[in-house]
Parts: sequence; C-alpha cells; structure tokens
Amino acid sequence: MSRPEQLVNLTIDGKQVAVPAGTLLIRAAEQVGVEIPRFCDHPFLEPVGACRQCYVEIEGQRKLFTSCTTTATEGMVVKTQNTSDVAHEAQVANLEFLLLNHPLDCPICDRGGECPLQDQALAFGPGESRYREAKRVYPKPITLSPLVNLDRERCVLCARCTRFCDEISGDRFIEMFARGAAQQVRISAGEDFRSPFSGNTVQICPVGALTSTPYRFVARPFDLSTVDTVCPHCSAGCNMKLDMRAGEVVRQLARDNYDVNDAWLCDKGRSAFRFPDAPDRIATPLIRERGLEPASFGEVLTRVAEWTDGARVAILTGGRLMDEDYYALSKLARTVFRTNDLDHRRAGDTGAAAAERHAAAKPMSLTYDDVETAAAIVVVGLDAEQEVPILHLRLRKAARRGARIWVLHPRRTRLHDVATHVLCAPGDEARLLAGGADDTLDEALAAVREAGAGAVVLAGERPGAADAAKRAADATGARFQYVTRRANDRGALLAGVHPSLLPGGRELDDVDDVEAAWGPLMNREPGRDTMGILRACADREVDVVFLIGVDPLRDVPDAGLVRRALDNVPVKIVQSLELGSLEPFADAFLPASAFLEKDGHVSTWEGRGQRLRAIRGRDGISLADWEIFASMALACGGDLGFETLDQLHDEMGRLMAAREDGRSEPGAGTFPAEVEPGDALALFTYPLLVDEGRLSEGADELKAALGQEPFVELHPSDAAAAGIVDGGRATVRTDAGAADLPARVTEHIAAGAAFVPFNQPGLAANTLFSGRMVTRARITPAESDAAPEGAEAVGAATGGGA
Amino acid sequence: MSESHRVLTAHWHDPSVIPLAGYEAAGGYRALRASLGMSADELIQVVKDSGLRGRGGAGFPTGMKWSFVPRDSGKPTFVTVNFDESEPGTCNNRELVEREPHALIEGSAIAARAIDCHLAFIYVRGEYLWQGQVLQRALDEAYAAGYLGRGIMGGDYDLDIVLHRGAGAYICGEETALLSSLEGFRGQPRLRPPFPAVEGLYESPTVINNVETLMNVPHIVNNGADWFKSIGTEKAPGTKVFTISGKVERPGNYELPMGTPMRTLLEDHAGGVLGGRALKAWTPGGSSTPFLTADHLDVGLDFESVMEAGSLLGTGAIMVLDETDCMVEAARRLVEFYAHESCGKCTPCREGTWWAARVLGRIESGHGHEDDLPVMADMGEHILFRAFCALADGAVSPIQSTLKHFMDEYEAHIREGRCPVTGRGPGRERGADHPAEDDRAVPDVTFAGAGPFEIQGVPS
Repeated sequence: MSRPEQLVNLTIDGKQVAVPAGTLLIRAAEQVGVEIPRFCDHPFLEPVGACRQCYVEIEGQRKLFTSCTTTATEGMVVKTQNTSDVAHEAQVANLEFLLLNHPLDCPICDRGGECPLQDQALAFGPGESRYREAKRVYPKPITLSPLVNLDRERCVLCARCTRFCDEISGDRFIEMFARGAAQQVRISAGEDFRSPFSGNTVQICPVGALTSTPYRFVARPFDLSTVDTVCPHCSAGCNMKLDMRAGEVVRQLARDNYDVNDAWLCDKGRSAFRFPDAPDRIATPLIRERGLEPASFGEVLTRVAEWTDGARVAILTGGRLMDEDYYALSKLARTVFRTNDLDHRRAGDTGAAAAERHAAAKPMSLTYDDVETAAAIVVVGLDAEQEVPILHLRLRKAARRGARIWVLHPRRTRLHDVATHVLCAPGDEARLLAGGADDTLDEALAAVREAGAGAVVLAGERPGAADAAKRAADATGARFQYVTRRANDRGALLAGVHPSLLPGGRELDDVDDVEAAWGPLMNREPGRDTMGILRACADREVDVVFLIGVDPLRDVPDAGLVRRALDNVPVKIVQSLELGSLEPFADAFLPASAFLEKDGHVSTWEGRGQRLRAIRGRDGISLADWEIFASMALACGGDLGFETLDQLHDEMGRLMAAREDGRSEPGAGTFPAEVEPGDALALFTYPLLVDEGRLSEGADELKAALGQEPFVELHPSDAAAAGIVDGGRATVRTDAGAADLPARVTEHIAAGAAFVPFNQPGLAANTLFSGRMVTRARITPAESDAAPEGAEAVGAATGGGA
Repeated sequence: MSESHRVLTAHWHDPSVIPLAGYEAAGGYRALRASLGMSADELIQVVKDSGLRGRGGAGFPTGMKWSFVPRDSGKPTFVTVNFDESEPGTCNNRELVEREPHALIEGSAIAARAIDCHLAFIYVRGEYLWQGQVLQRALDEAYAAGYLGRGIMGGDYDLDIVLHRGAGAYICGEETALLSSLEGFRGQPRLRPPFPAVEGLYESPTVINNVETLMNVPHIVNNGADWFKSIGTEKAPGTKVFTISGKVERPGNYELPMGTPMRTLLEDHAGGVLGGRALKAWTPGGSSTPFLTADHLDVGLDFESVMEAGSLLGTGAIMVLDETDCMVEAARRLVEFYAHESCGKCTPCREGTWWAARVLGRIESGHGHEDDLPVMADMGEHILFRAFCALADGAVSPIQSTLKHFMDEYEAHIREGRCPVTGRGPGRERGADHPAEDDRAVPDVTFAGAGPFEIQGVPS
C-alpha cells in the first residue's frame, strides 16, 4: 500500500517517537513499549473514551487526557502513569470506581488469571476497598445464546461487545439498556444472540462478564498450554490460539493477524474444535478380511500395491488436506497410478475452469487488504457470511471505509445492509454480467470500470458464477479472485489435484517443468472429474477408488450415484480420521493424522500459504497424509522422491509458485442453466456455516446457538402459484428424490429459484440432487405433516447424514 | 429595576403577543425581515460585535460559535435549539417560550440564516408538554404566515423548523447527547472533536444554541450591537433572565442586566429570604454550580464575577437555602439527581455519583464514619474534569462546595449521629459504639426508574 503518511514527532515518557498523524496516544505509546492501562479501547473499534482508565498528562494542559481518544500532535510531550503522579493517581482512582460494584468473584470466574481488571487491580489497585455500601447485585448469569453468557455484575460497561456488534459484525443483538449505575448490556426479551461472530465479544471482553459456554468452568489459564495454529474450517485461514488442557483442546481464540483475520474468528472456528477427539476416530490401519480388522501399514500397503497393479485407479479427496499432502497426492496419482482421474471438488466441474486456472497459477494476486481498500466490489455467487465468514467481515470493513459493494447471488446475503443485491436465477450470472440485462448490475460494472485497480470481483462456488465473474473482471479491468470454500480447496488447486491441471495450474500439455521434477508423464489425457469418477465407478469402469479425507455419501450432490458407485467399484481404500458412513464399504483404511498433529501449509482463498506446526503427538500410529502417499508409492514400486518435509518443500516450491506466464483466460463462461422455462423451479443448495459437517462433530453448543432445521426457501410469487404459505410444509420433488420441508417464503430470493441448505440435521440434501448443486424441482404443499412420501425421504436422509 | 432593561421579558405582562398577530403588532419578525436583507457574514458580525454569550451555561460567544460553521463543506448545515432545559432550579426558557413563543422562532430563523441552514430543530424537554404545544401552535402560525417554509417572507430563502420532543433525560441537554437523541440513538454524549460546528447532527455542521441566547438575537439585529453592549458588563453584555427559587418570598424569573448583584435580586426583586430567616447558601446557576453563602451577597451576577467568587453563572438559576436547611441533605439530594441522570457511559460519573449519593445518604441519616470525609473529598477530585462530559462535574459542585463552606455541619452529623440542624437521625449514645457499624441497617438510596432492571439491595 502506498498511502501517504505524514509523521508527527512526540515524546512519551521521555522517549521520542514519530507516528503517522492521527495516531492515538495509546497506540503511539505502544510503539515505544509503554502500555497504558485500558478497558474500552480496542485497536479495531472506534474510540469511545468510556472507561477513563487510560489517563495521561500532556504538558501544558490543565486536565488529564484519555490516551485512547487523543491523537498525537507535533511536539506533544506526554507523561503516562510511569512518569506522571497525577496520571497514576487518576488511574488508581478510576480502578477504585470500577471495583466498587465488581463482585470480586475471581476464584470462580473463567477470566481469573487472564483478566485485565484483575491484573491491574493486582498491579496498582488499592488493597482494601473504601466502599462500605451494599454492592449492585444482578441475578447471574443471563444466557444470551447457547454459546454466550452474560454476568452483568462483572461488567465494566466498556461497550466493547456492543461496539463490536455495531461496527464489525453489524449483528446488533446486544445493546446498552437503562442508564447511570443501572446501565447494563442486554438483549431484547426473547431474542437469542444469533450472530455467527458472537464469540468475539467474549474474547474482547476485558473482564469475565461475557463467557463462552464450551469453556465455562472448564479450565484455569495456568492449566492450559497454548499453541498457535490456523483454523481448519474454511478458506479464510484465520490465525488462532488453541488452548489444550492435558492434551485435549478446550478453547480456540483468535490470534491477531492484520493481514488475515484482524482479531476475529467466527463462532464455528471458535467452537467446533472437538472433531479431532471424536469417539469414532481411528488411529490404526484396518483391512477387510472377515470384517475390518487392525493391520500394519506394511500389510495394508502391500495389499494396495496388489490391488492397484495394472488396475484402473481413481482418486477422490476433499478440501481439507494440507498443501504438502495434495502435492504428494498429485504426484502419486500421475507418476505411480498414471491416472488423471483425480479430483477434490464436491461436484467436479461447475463452470469455473478459467477461475480455477487463475487461482492455481496466481496465488496472492488479490488479498484481504485489497478487499479492505477497494473502492468498488462485486461479489458473485458467494454467500460470504455463511461460506467464508471472516471475508464477510472484511467486506463489511471495506463498506465502512466507503467501498461500494454489489452482490449477485440467488438469495440475499447478510451483506444486505452494506451492499446492493441483485438476485438472479441460478446459472443466470453470465447473462447478467455480460451487461445490458440489469440496470443495477450495469451500474456496478460501470463503477468497477471506473475504479480500475481499485475494483475487486470476488466469485464463489455457485455453479457457473465463477467464470462469468472472471470474464466480467477481465472485461472491466477489475482484480479477480475465486473464493473456494473449504480450508484448503485452494491448496488442492495449486497442487493440481484436478483432472486436467498439474501443479501451478499447468495444463496437461504444459508439462516441461513438471516432467523436470517428476520424470515423464505417461498419461496426458484429461481425467474424469468427481462426478465422472463416480459414474465410472457405478459403470464398473474403475477397479480401485481412493477416498481420501472425503465422504462422498455426505459431500457429493448425488447420494444415489455415490451409493451405486460404492456398490460397484471392486476396491475402496479410505484414508481419513475415521470411517464414518464408509464403514460398510471400505476394503482398507489408512489412518491420517489430524491437523493438530502434523506440519505443513494450508492456503487461504487468497492463495496465502500459512504454516501449521504439529502441536500435539500423533494419535495412535496415524501418519500425515503425504507420508502415507510416499510410503504407498514405494510399496507400489514407485518413488515420490522425498522422505522429509524439507525435500518435499524444495520440490513443491518450484512447481507451486505464482507464475507470470500462468494462463488466465476468460474461459467459456457458459455454464448451462439447469432449468428450462416452465413450472419447475431452479432448486439450488450450498452448505450453511453451521451444519452437520464432519468438522462440527461435538460442537453441540454451536449447533444449538446457530443451527437450523432444514427448510426450503422460495419467492412469494412462486409460493403463491403453488399455494404454499410461509411456515407451512412443502414437498420438494426432483428427479432424484423428494423431501417434506417447512417453507420459508421470502422476497429475498430470486423468483423462479428455491433453496435448500445442503446438510442440516434431518435432511441430507444430496438425496435431492443429481450431480450438481442446482436441479429442477417441483414444490407443492405437503399433503399432510405425516405424508408418507416426505417422511420416507427425510428418514432416508437422516440415515445417511447422522 | 427600570423597565428599560426588560428586553426579553418586556411583553410578559401582555398575553396578546403569544399569537402571531400580537407579536407582529409589537414589532415581531421585523428583525427576521432585516436579516433576510443581510449577508450571513454581516449577521455573524453583528452578533459577534454585540458580545452575546451563550445563556445555556458555558457562556461561549455566540457569534464566534456561528463563525466556526463551514458553509462550503458540501453538507447541509443545521441549527438545533436546545430547549431541553432540565437543570434543577432553572425555568427561564420555559416562561420565555410560554409568553412569547414567536420570539424563539424568529431568533432561530435568524441563526439559521446566519449559517445558511434550511432545516432547524427545536429539541424540547419531554416534560414540557404544554410548552411544546404552545411552540407548535406558533410554528404552525409562522408557516401559515410565510415566516417559515419555502421562500420565506416572499424571498428566496427556505427554512423549515421541526419540533422534536425529548424523552426526559437530563443528559440530553448536553449538546452532543442531544444530537444523538435527535438522531434516534441513545442519548449519550459523543467524543469531541469533531465538534458539532464541523460534524454535528447527521455528521453535518451544526450550531446548537440555548433558547434565551437565540431570543436575544432579534433585539440585537433590531437595535444594533452597541445598544446591546450598553447593557450589562463589559465582558458579559445584555440582560439575563434569572430564575430564583427556594426559600425566598417571591420566587420566579427576573430579567436584570448582567452583573446585577445578588443582593439586589434577592432583596429588591425576590422579596428577601422566606420568613425573614437568615440566608445560608445559594447556587448562582442551577444545581451544577457550587454553592455560595451569605458572604457572597454582593457578588455581581455575571460570568466573571461569579467565577471569581468560586462558582459558575451557569443558567442563572438561583436556589436559596436558609438557616433551617441541612446542607448534607442538600448535597445528597443534588448528587442523587446526578446519579439518577448519569447516562452510565463513563466510569467516574456512573460509579462516582452512585457512591457519593450513598455515602452522603448515610452521613445525612446519622450513620456516617469519620473516614467518609476523606472519601468525599477524594471523590470530588477523582470525578472533576475526568468524566466524559460535564454532567459529573455538576455532581462535584455540591460535594466540594458544601465540604468547603459547611465542613462543620458534616462533622457534626458524624460526631452526633444526627443532623445538627433538623435533629433527624438516631443519635449516638455517649461511649457506645458508632451506630453505623451495622451498615446493613442503613436505608439504601433508591434510584427511581431503576426497575425493571433489577438492582437488588443487600445480597442475602
């Protein structure tokens, strides 16, 4: 960034410092290593000056100044509590005020041991209170949501939580009520704190007033060992601190990284941490003899070598391995199994060919910071809050800074208060983005064109959206990024875990660099994508399928096809943390280490590689995925050429770096609309933030707080035509199946479209789809709540998804 | 007092000026017409030259305040009239509006003209129901007669004035809290800078003036700056409508030149202390200004003289206490008011006023401790100039001034366990333990309106 900054010189406690004009004194002091006590101040929130703890003396001024609201000026001489008796005395006096009504229940407070109020009281507070009166007492605590509790007695009314909800998340559930000594944080009667960012208020609370249910009464800070890691849930790549008690994860907190997540985490990242310790975790290889029985890696890999010898091999994986794992897998598939039948994408090709190539060849071509400082932003086919929540916060921050934002999506997203939405039928993005079809969108495109390098186009995973958006970005000169959802979809793309891409986004006919590292590639025919592989399995055209960190029964939008594929392919090898619903099918199981247990990198949606380190010992005899791949290669008579991470990094770095010559074509951009005009609706789906996903296992409080029953959402005009009322039940019928669901009728969805969430408890929506995240559906009023057909569909779905 | 010094109250005897026709007959709206023929800069200059200072408490020069407003910011400018008059002891704005509502409209319109404002707001104290009605009726008349609306008085200047009712919070008289309230948010003060003149209502340049201030403006426009400066003192020209209440024979509003001695107001106009009793203490400018005593009767009632005597002119609201009044009770009542009205935003005000009210209550009821006095002394120091806005400073005034002038009364309360003036309190038996050792026996100070937000008393 090249924002011109004027510097001002000032003196703090005798130390000279130059800071940009407009810097608050409390920040300037931090730069010379002086910490001024504070409660209400937070670097990401607007100054409020409420707690009055941060008083400093400014030479030549009669009154004291709060350093959190006073900006540095040239020549200012500032004395903090370290050098000014008056400032020190004012801080002691303010602390006395804050402690008057504080319950001093530190021994039973979660915050005890890491509480700013406690620390300051200990450091310079009065040893005894002069307060003789009865304290202000409230019933305790108030449950704001199943995740967050409020103890008003402990509250110092710094308003960090309410300001976070006002300024950062925009989810204004909590607010100050009443006044004077009765002022308190409250939530409206009957409301729940249903913000997916609620946990941030707990983290920034400077006392124990807000506590988180999963951590409540669980540990004392001095019993915790804290390690740094990166959130495994989505491609936001939030940096976090993970607290373990006796080796078990008990809490996750945001770790400041101004380049990535600022200081925030979503509630899923914060609360869904129990999956690595789930009871069905398997840490031993298994092989199917009479049943699935424990075996050694050697035994299993020997059998794998036998099975794959001369066989037609296909590989399916998901989006949650590490860069190193994907690289090794890509190389294993190409050099050992000589197959390009390799995919990590939930539904294979979805009209994102150009976007994927751009993403694979040009990591870090557009970053969080570019989003924050953009002048005009168009978001296409992405529900940022639900899919990449911290990107959603960054978009909101951009809006606060004055960016104009448009969202092109089939249903309204939570950016609705800061962005203009254009609701479009699924698959109609290309037509609208071509211009001339929608006035609002044309206005957006004009703004983007005018903003030039200050324009950003972000595209998500709605079918057909990404390439259409890429083409619009190319046409307008905007910067573009394809925002894949899962934690390391981006790493899989970079490594070429893709039927027609090699590492670095190289095509199968652009093999020089790759062959230099890997040796000759024997198979240069594009392979099958996820759906193609599954169809081939079902048609008995595949002999061995690897299922690596993926459960296609739950992840792929065609449950029926997956079941036929698993029935018909002779050998199924599962490599994961557990077997889950694949248990009846697996011929062999290879235990992978969880993200906590291995070293490596994951790439954010920007393509930013972030290093993770093993922070606890491996479970059982599990191994990192790449190590299993390397051993497998050896067992099968090949050799990946690396035995250590350093060797792997050396080779990988050369092939996965950003490439100037990376092809970045507009691509076809013509993903055919699924739905013909007529009386059918375009039913689309994507997973909501809080669902029945494998990584949310055990996150019961999260699901109680933010989970939703399955539903079908449709437009009032379509509802009226079909005779469906809001809150009534509707039967959704597709070529693949039917489900009986509560109907939500809202004008915030495109007419002609209908939405079901992908994986809510009680409905595995992939029973309704035929290989794509959009399909034709007829939606009619349910005949009765006990309609046998609907009940059947729901029952079947529950069986697959639980 | 000579009638010549009745400026704002000259027509108070004459109810015919309440409707528009009577106001016009008495020369009303002449100044507005004149101001339409003047440039904004000329208007600001004449007000600057007059030396008019704000009557809401701080005494800031009005013309200078107007001149701070940028007129080229690309944003609209706003005039906001502070008719939240909620300082205990003060009711001059109220009577000014009741008796001559069009004078406020005319003054507001001239102020608007001076900063090129086309939309002004009058923020009326919620409890002033009838005064709001009087004002609204006058606004309707002014619109109908073309003094407001599009192209006022046949010219090309547009002005709308909107009356907005508050909901009954003292803090909303603080100008930035008033703006928050007007915008529909919680009435809590905002950070300054940015100052309202630059970024006020709806983040736009805004002038906020008191009712009495604006009512002076038409007279200045009509009679000139020199005429205005001929009244009052050099640094505080003009008259002031003083409100005198409490233990006096004839409480009420009296308009006198700035600088008139308190003795003149009390003895010549208000008829002296009630029942001929001895004067004990008085506030010169409402509840937020430090008490003065009988020793200060010859202090001139203007900004400088009162400040020199150790208090503030504030709103010019004089509350008189006589020899039968308990000063600890007086302090407790006032501090309790501030504790009740504290908005809660900042620590020293929220917690300090709460603490002080309770300690004062305990001393008053005869349950004081000797170490309460240093606590009270500290309290003043720890709150004054350290809270977010001036509300808490107002609470310090009664504490510090009663400690200063009436320390013996505090000591007697604590020593004797009862009030030396009224005799209330359990008293202390010679040689017995202090009666207040069991603090739980002390009746707690209650805060009206604290429910339904449960504040419980003593935990069981």
